[in-house]
Amino acid sequence: MIDTEQSIIIEAPIEQVWIFAKDINAWAKLMPGFQHCDIADADHSRWTLKIGVGALIRTVKVAVHVGRWAGPEDADFTFALEGDPVQGRGSYRAVALGPAQTRISLAVQVEGTGPMAPMWEAMGRPLLPKFARGFAEQFKGEVEQLGGGATDAPP
Amino acid sequence: MLENQPEKWDMEVDLVSIGSGAGGLAAAIAAQDHGLSAIVIERSSELGGVTAYSMGEVWIPGNHLASGLGLEDSPESGRLYVQSLSMGYGEDRAMLNQAIHGPVALKYFEDRIGLKLQVIRNFPDYYYPHNNNSVAEGRYLEPVPFAAETLGAFQHKTRLTPHLPAGFTHEDIFHGGGLANILAWNYELLAERITKDLRCLGPGLAAYFVKGALDRGVQLFTDTSADELICDGTRVVGVRATREGKALFIKAKRGVVIAVSGYERNKDLAKTLSNLLDPVSMVFGTVDGAHFRLAGPLGARIARVPDPANLGIHMPGEEHDNGTPLWRGSLPFLGLPHTIVVNRAGKRFANEAFYRSVYYAVDHIDGATQTHPNFPCWMVFDHQARTKYPCGGAMPGQDLPEGFAVISGSLKELAARIGVDPDGLEQTVGVFNDYAEAGVDPDFQRGTFPWGAAMTGDIKHKPNPNLGTLREGPFYAIALQRMGGGGINGAGLVADHHCRVMGWDDRPIEGLYVAGNSMVRFDTGAMMQSGLSNARGMTHGYLAGRHAAGCPSDLLDTALAGQGTVA
Ligand SMILES: Cc1cc2nc3c(=O)[nH]c(=O)nc-3n(C[C@H](O)[C@H](O)[C@H](O)COP(=O)(O)OP(=O)(O)OC[C@H]3O[C@@H](n4cnc5c(N)ncnc54)[C@H](O)[C@@H]3O)c2cc1C
Repeated sequence: MIDTEQSIIIEAPIEQVWIFAKDINAWAKLMPGFQHCDIADADHSRWTLKIGVGALIRTVKVAVHVGRWAGPEDADFTFALEGDPVQGRGSYRAVALGPAQTRISLAVQVEGTGPMAPMWEAMGRPLLPKFARGFAEQFKGEVEQLGGGATDAPP
Repeated sequence: MLENQPEKWDMEVDLVSIGSGAGGLAAAIAAQDHGLSAIVIERSSELGGVTAYSMGEVWIPGNHLASGLGLEDSPESGRLYVQSLSMGYGEDRAMLNQAIHGPVALKYFEDRIGLKLQVIRNFPDYYYPHNNNSVAEGRYLEPVPFAAETLGAFQHKTRLTPHLPAGFTHEDIFHGGGLANILAWNYELLAERITKDLRCLGPGLAAYFVKGALDRGVQLFTDTSADELICDGTRVVGVRATREGKALFIKAKRGVVIAVSGYERNKDLAKTLSNLLDPVSMVFGTVDGAHFRLAGPLGARIARVPDPANLGIHMPGEEHDNGTPLWRGSLPFLGLPHTIVVNRAGKRFANEAFYRSVYYAVDHIDGATQTHPNFPCWMVFDHQARTKYPCGGAMPGQDLPEGFAVISGSLKELAARIGVDPDGLEQTVGVFNDYAEAGVDPDFQRGTFPWGAAMTGDIKHKPNPNLGTLREGPFYAIALQRMGGGGINGAGLVADHHCRVMGWDDRPIEGLYVAGNSMVRFDTGAMMQSGLSNARGMTHGYLAGRHAAGCPSDLLDTALAGQGTVA
């Protein structure tokens, strides 16, 4: 099993960050190599991504299930690659550092199963932290770009 | 000779290398080391060429690394090996030139740029032990892992390969049981190498040369395409290139080296020069025959040696990093146990564990019917192969993506679905299964080439690493597509022993050199040996760079004088 946790401070109120976080489509679009996202229902979606390993790009389909929505602080999810024996879980945690500042922490665990597990995990180990970091930075960028005012938080 | 000089040059150097593979970089390095100023221009966005896509094998008979290990060999033995397999399509002088200069160029780049190669242990020549001058090991070299961080700004501008994990050497792969036993490889080691960006195989080889060029101040321009050679009426004096959408005139006071690889991404050239119909390719789009467009207007002579179609497979969902579909060579999969290749009649037609046998047979034309009896053809395998071995980019046991293979519970139904004679296939498999159990293939001698066992077999499989029954359904069939040779094509520019491009009048075109796959393979004729292409590139670059700098090698003349012949 490989895991990573990436924290980042976002210059926006926690409620506004949550508006973005609860929109699964918005998350999917931030994934490197995002192609499209099919939303089955509020909790289930299927993401198609192009993932690069060195000079090779592979199209993978990922089934994502959000098991717990506890906004604006928490969400937990699981995922599984279709056709590849790789699955995992993750969490979103947000803490308000001030009225317009939020720290989010994204934790992701990935597990390969079967005889290929050592390969998947060894290949993923150096990539996962970079991947998660890139994602967190994109997340921050998007939320901050949405602007200070756009919040459904109580005035 | 053309006279097409611009009113004004944008840059001036002594030598321009066109193409940033082994050939172009080696020429620029050798030139700069002999006192010239050199630039390498590369049309794609990354340096390293097909050299970086390769397995990084460098085949040099009589090299000092093998002799350091006590392995007996000589350049002359290597020359005899090549010559005896060339079927008269090569030229003796070109073979001798490569035999003499291969080891010299290797030593030169070791000493000058810190190139570090190692002998791939227990890795035999293609035709070992069938050829008297073949060796069981010693001629095949590969890069020692290269720390790509030392490339600085060029680290991420130096090409990687989509074909294999660049963090493994051959030694690592063979130690883990070879290409077939992918699950037994040491992935911890791979992870460490990826983390530290330690590059092996072709990416490692290319990176050594990029570093060598950077260290001595060779200018390296990516995204710069050479479009025309400039002449002053007597010699080549420069290049018109395109960079950032604008024309760039580069004056080359001492010469221009064309090292742009082959032409397989140009389907018209592939058809008309190699009789290769509608090929797919393992390489990127810039390998499209620029050498002919550049040197043609100057009356450069071209020639061809036999070059059969390769066979490729594409796994849906796999792409190059520029987004184009990735085609892989089928070579590592065809000779695996529990796998055969059949034609429309459901018959095997070659030794699947030795690609030279398969590829020449695919091109065979039956003059009586004006057909290719062995094309189309299919790789057919069973559940045992699928469980144990990789297939394209799919790992053992992993579901194959939709559209990759036709799958069926019975051989007859499989045959019907792919348009192959069902009785023929069933009969072929029946006979093959008996051979597999006995471990002997009287029809095509599968398993009698140790190279084929290492590269396209399962070295752990007994009694024969290339033979295993097809007994367990489901059965699978993948149509094999005609494919270019990975930059290695039969036709190319004719050159002399200093790599000067020759005209149709048999005189060198002054100021114009050629290196690597852009040069016709008179030094191999009809034979092929992996590792020879990278070795040629380095050697040609060395010779061209020296000649342009006014220090031509005299080793061939000396050798020929000893035989009473002139170069
Ligand atoms: C999967 C694979 C494995 C292989 N394994 C081996 C192996 O182990 N050993 C071996 O010896 N050979 C191997 N080969 C073949 C070998 O790598 C090539 O034959 C060799 O590297 C060619 O070197 P080169 O210098 O001729 O050209 P390249 O390395 O291909 O360099 C040519 C460069 O020229 C550039 N170019 C093209 N047109 C222009 C233009 N107009 N202006 C500027 N630049 C241009 C191209 O973009 C390219 O980067 C392999 C090939 C493949 C595909």
